Amino acid sequence: MNVILAVKQYVSKMIEESGPGMKVLLMDADTTVFVSMVYAKSEILQKEVYLFEKIDSGASRESMKHLKCITFLRPTKENVALLANELKAPKYGLYYIYFSNVISKQDVKILAEADDQEVVREVQEFYGDYIAVNPHLFSLNISNCCQSLRWAQPMLSRTAQGLTALLLSVKKCPMIRYQNSSEMARELADNVKRIITNNAALFEFRRTDVAPVLLILDRRDDAVTPLLNQWTYEAMVHEVLGIENSKINLSKVPGISKDLKEVLLSAETDEFYSENMYQSFGEIGTNIKNLMDEFQKQSKNHTKVESIQDMKNFIENYPQFRKMSGTVSKHVTVVSELSRLVGLYNLLNVSETEQEIACQSDHSNQLQQIKVLMENDKVRPMDLLRLVMLYALRYEAHTNNDMVGLIDLLKRKGISEDKRAMVHAVLEYGGRKARGSDLFRSGDPVNITRRILQNLKGVENVYTQHQPLLASTLDQLIKGKLKEASYPYMGANQLKDRPQDVIVFIIGGCTYAESKLVHTLNRTTHGVKIILGGTTIHNFESFLSELSTAVKGQATKYPARTGRH
Amino acid sequence: MASDATGIMEGFLCPVCLKDFGTVSQLQDHFEDVHSSEDKAVLQSLKGFFDKAKRRILGNKEFGFRESNTQNNENPSTTCFSGYDPTWWEYQELGVTQYHTDAFRAVRDARIDHFVVETNKLLIRLDKLLDPDAPREASKRKGIVTMFSDYLGFEKSIVPWVPDGAVPACLSCEESFSILRRKHHCRLCGGIMCNKCSEFLGLTYAQKLVNPAVSFEGESGFLKRSDSSTSLNSLMGLEAEGHMRICKGCRMLLERRDQMTEQRNIKPTLVLLYEKMRGCMRDANELIPEYLPMVDSLSIGEATYSWREAQALRNKLVRLYDAVDQLSKRILCLEIKPESPSALKQQQLQKAIRVSASYFMQENLIGLQALPSEDQYEELKTARRVEVQRKIAAERQAEMEAQQRERQSQDDTERSRPNGDKKLGHTRNDSHDSVGKGWKPVEEGSRVSKVADPMLQQMEIIRGYIKQAKEAQRWDEVEMLEHNLKDLKDEYYRQQTINFKS
Ligand SMILES: [Zn+2]
Ligand SMILES: [Zn+2]
Ligand SMILES: [Zn+2]
Repeated sequence: MNVILAVKQYVSKMIEESGPGMKVLLMDADTTVFVSMVYAKSEILQKEVYLFEKIDSGASRESMKHLKCITFLRPTKENVALLANELKAPKYGLYYIYFSNVISKQDVKILAEADDQEVVREVQEFYGDYIAVNPHLFSLNISNCCQSLRWAQPMLSRTAQGLTALLLSVKKCPMIRYQNSSEMARELADNVKRIITNNAALFEFRRTDVAPVLLILDRRDDAVTPLLNQWTYEAMVHEVLGIENSKINLSKVPGISKDLKEVLLSAETDEFYSENMYQSFGEIGTNIKNLMDEFQKQSKNHTKVESIQDMKNFIENYPQFRKMSGTVSKHVTVVSELSRLVGLYNLLNVSETEQEIACQSDHSNQLQQIKVLMENDKVRPMDLLRLVMLYALRYEAHTNNDMVGLIDLLKRKGISEDKRAMVHAVLEYGGRKARGSDLFRSGDPVNITRRILQNLKGVENVYTQHQPLLASTLDQLIKGKLKEASYPYMGANQLKDRPQDVIVFIIGGCTYAESKLVHTLNRTTHGVKIILGGTTIHNFESFLSELSTAVKGQATKYPARTGRH
Repeated sequence: MASDATGIMEGFLCPVCLKDFGTVSQLQDHFEDVHSSEDKAVLQSLKGFFDKAKRRILGNKEFGFRESNTQNNENPSTTCFSGYDPTWWEYQELGVTQYHTDAFRAVRDARIDHFVVETNKLLIRLDKLLDPDAPREASKRKGIVTMFSDYLGFEKSIVPWVPDGAVPACLSCEESFSILRRKHHCRLCGGIMCNKCSEFLGLTYAQKLVNPAVSFEGESGFLKRSDSSTSLNSLMGLEAEGHMRICKGCRMLLERRDQMTEQRNIKPTLVLLYEKMRGCMRDANELIPEYLPMVDSLSIGEATYSWREAQALRNKLVRLYDAVDQLSKRILCLEIKPESPSALKQQQLQKAIRVSASYFMQENLIGLQALPSEDQYEELKTARRVEVQRKIAAERQAEMEAQQRERQSQDDTERSRPNGDKKLGHTRNDSHDSVGKGWKPVEEGSRVSKVADPMLQQMEIIRGYIKQAKEAQRWDEVEMLEHNLKDLKDEYYRQQTINFKS
């Protein structure tokens, strides 16, 4: 069930089928991302793939008959038309054509009729139709799938296609469960079920004893997780710097060197990252220092490396180190930038308050803390906004709710009306009426025990108190205790045993915090493998955009002035 | 394919000091001179770092990487799981695929078959028309009109012409014929078209079409009337100059066929060089797994392989790497016609090939360990002999001491046992023992008779294992074995006690 391996094996197979010789890889914008997530450039070069072309650049491409062309495309109408044109005047010697999803017989015919020069050798479907981020994590890179609290139709079909491709790529034919409170979840489950039924022949492979489970959830059930600042490496980088298809943009870092303006964070090619992506921020600093110490010891150099600044100097002085272990210099840069921003924006204080709002119940005290942070000029407006949004969700029904006062304060801090509207939007999107679960788990005894345990463990965990709702959902699912009323099956079949293979998909996007949770569950739960997917992978910023599209055109049930005060 | 963080290094950079070297051999020399001793540790650790990353990427598909420096492999923090979970990288079946190639071919081949039949018909006709014994064209017979009509008759005997009256308009442009727009016949299919729609097939080119052995140098095998003149003279002129009037459809079929044969038969220089380069890479990759165990064995002074053989193999490898280097450089520098439409891509391609060759060299050069020199090897051999003998002596000593201790805890009746030639029979690493002289493993049978209790026997075996594990510095194994030994001892004493009581 490793999704990186699944896509990578597809790509390797394509390259292999084309045999020896110089190759060009012809792709569309989507498949380019699919491939780039699983293959490093240096690695694919070694497999004789030397050129990479986009199908829609046909006019500007030039004829090179001595190249074999591996074509990997999504089966859209436009792509079929572009490819047919390409085949009528082929630029390369031979074509090996692969579609990332089901293609119609009609489209095959269109292509066949264009191949007068007999250049096509293969036409197949290879279901690498999604972005494999980690072995257990995938995304479809669909932002704003929810419009006016309903599916945008093209995105529903794209999501259903992506999910069924995923199932085919890991050879799972699952029972489907969905979150009953979400109409979008039901619709998606229905679509997936229909595709499976209509392509029954494709789904006929050796079944496992215990059927896999596909669980479809809606982000609206837990709007809290994407609001929080994060402190594990991967999640934090995405929250503070933003990860896009494994790349982060460091061009805004003061004094950044040219080759570090955009860096790649890939657990597949970067060992340090794969070791540390789920470590907390503090531990990463230590690990980097250890690595440098090790190198120092061996290079018989005794410069003291105490601070991150020292590390930077150290690297500056060792060009060989810098070149050979570009990975390390990259991480030193990233980590030092993170720590600079943490200090600059007072993120520790902000995060502490966030965590308390999300996990503790002390209204007046927390309200006070938000107000104190409002006075602090170091705190970013976006962090104030997220605090107020959290507060709004948490104390939606509290008798002394002071949302109005807080929005007023936001206004005084110069936060635009668009942004202030997000406070209402988040209530509309993920407020009490929208939820099917007890998000804040007030009465959950497990939760209370956990809190006590956490309090015993001490200060460090102040910033990691919050567990995404997904934790308890998965826990129940694994134990076979997930209530059927809240998460019904699509179809007549029901799972009698505890599940072994689980695919969870979150409509509206998942987060790296949830990815870390799933990773930990996989490591600690014997015999269970979980894959997590989302329409996209959110940080606060992208979640705001998701929110504003989702509630667009909704008559708000939350008037700007409530008379409670 | 996102660009790697470390920039692509061109040429033969020394991975330590980043100096550029012209050839593989130069780099090798430099590497051995400058970095062989003092920087080995650094290099090892860096190499370990990257090897490990590589192993990760390659997953379980790759094998043969020797365990690198272990110091880097430990994750100092244990509070959290590393992002790398080996259980996710076990073998995984290729996902579902669906095959459309047959359906595709069925549709395409139906169309293509028609082309092929048509093209073959045309080629047969063309061949007949080009027959040297056929009546020649008018011009060659000094414009004798009767001969001209003879030739027409000959053409018509091979290709049935569509009767003039049957077609009111040009089949290609659909303009109706008149005095000004006269009718012309395609000499290959006999169809009728206007002059404007006529194509003129060059006769030399036509020769090449029917016989690929004929060479044809030129831009195009076809001529097109540029002016709209319909004067008989100019028209005759063109045909007289060795051209044959044909229609567009026939031209398309002939060209299609020509391109396909062309592609099969002609390899550009780039392709030739490239194939040679890949051949060298393949050969080198086949030799490496032969060479590496040789160096390993020779550099600890073993006599399993011949030093000379290893040296020869190494030279061969270096020559192959040199060839890859030279060929990829030639590919990089291949001249591209600047006006050629594919100049830019061609350049990109050549560069990419060179880069991939550089990657290949970098990866393999670091792995290509140096052999000890012949003198060094002799020293190593002697040192090893001494060391092995010392070890054997030490083992014997330890063995005797152990037996002494064992005896104290043993039943008195078991005491009479000759010592000296007593040695552990179970060695897992045979090569270590093959050098020592004057000693041979004790046979199983004789030993059993001496050590009656199978448990004691077992304990001895484990002690032997522990010794070997210690030599190999496999500490976790040592720990496990010692644990086993203790369990055995406990069990042994328990049994003894029971026996005593009963
Ligand atoms: Zn050097
Ligand atoms: Zn015409
Ligand atoms: Zn014709």
